[in-house]
Amino acid sequence: MSRPGRWAALSPEDRALLKRHLRAPLLTFLALLGLLAVNVALGATLPFARVWIVELAVVTVMVAIILLVSMEVRKEPPLVRLFSALGFFWVAILVGMTLTDVLAR
Amino acid sequence: MSSAPVPEGAVEGVGVARVAHFETVAQQRQAATLGIWAWLITELLLFSALFLVALVVRIEHPEATIAAARHLKFWIGATNTVVLICSSLTMSMAIAFSRMGWQRAMVRAMLATAALGGLFLVLKGYEYYADWDEHMMPFLADRPFALAETPAARLFVNLYYVATILHAVHLLTGILILLGMTWMAARAGFLARHQNWIEVYGLYWHFIDLVWILAFPILYVVNRSS
Repeated sequence: MSRPGRWAALSPEDRALLKRHLRAPLLTFLALLGLLAVNVALGATLPFARVWIVELAVVTVMVAIILLVSMEVRKEPPLVRLFSALGFFWVAILVGMTLTDVLAR
Repeated sequence: MSSAPVPEGAVEGVGVARVAHFETVAQQRQAATLGIWAWLITELLLFSALFLVALVVRIEHPEATIAAARHLKFWIGATNTVVLICSSLTMSMAIAFSRMGWQRAMVRAMLATAALGGLFLVLKGYEYYADWDEHMMPFLADRPFALAETPAARLFVNLYYVATILHAVHLLTGILILLGMTWMAARAGFLARHQNWIEVYGLYWHFIDLVWILAFPILYVVNRSS
């Protein structure tokens, strides 16, 4: 337990360090809350037909933010990036082949 | 997240103790990250299959699915999404504090993350109770299903329980592991030997958040509209 926990007890250097490290998590948090608010508003009011298209687009952006920023995929080495991309590639095959069957009946 | 993993020796008292079968600490860190990603991919496929079934049910039985989805507790689901987004923030803070060597702040952020996970489960439990109260548990033989006149609604409601209970099990497991890790992380010298444990665990927590970010719209939101 090495550092004081109170803001007032922090040195100017520590405050600058804190701001630098927490900037991205806080911006991510605000972005996710904002996008969730959009989806909740659309889901609660159902303002137009096929609103689900917009809702799924918003979710896609939220997932991308979590993957790239919160899970730091953008900063990982190429092999880890490949693994994370492969996961979604397999999901695309799963969804694509299933829907090809269901929608072609 | 704020910054890349800490280079060895960059912050005093923060690092990873190399084990014998790795040549370098960097290799050890990378292997740990790759390992958790390999597992997360299998989890992604598991949940994706469930969400895909929800989509097929919607395509095959649109009216029944909409009727069932409108019975779900939309506002509790939305509140729980906010709770998990908050927990992702506190987990990111714990990782940032671990990289800075601020052990006490890191431990507090980890405890806050576990508490928010617990709050999610409490709200989910209340939601299940409300579902039970409204006869929305078609698998209970002694309790008539509220949407019995639309038999296909059972498919969607049963799928809703499978997906959300599976997510809740992952969350409960995550909370227990997090509390165990917090107990270890509060000890002197933890950050000097195992700083990357916090980062690896953080990937799991963010993934649980990601699954719910998908589950909430797929189960609660998109099926409200025709």
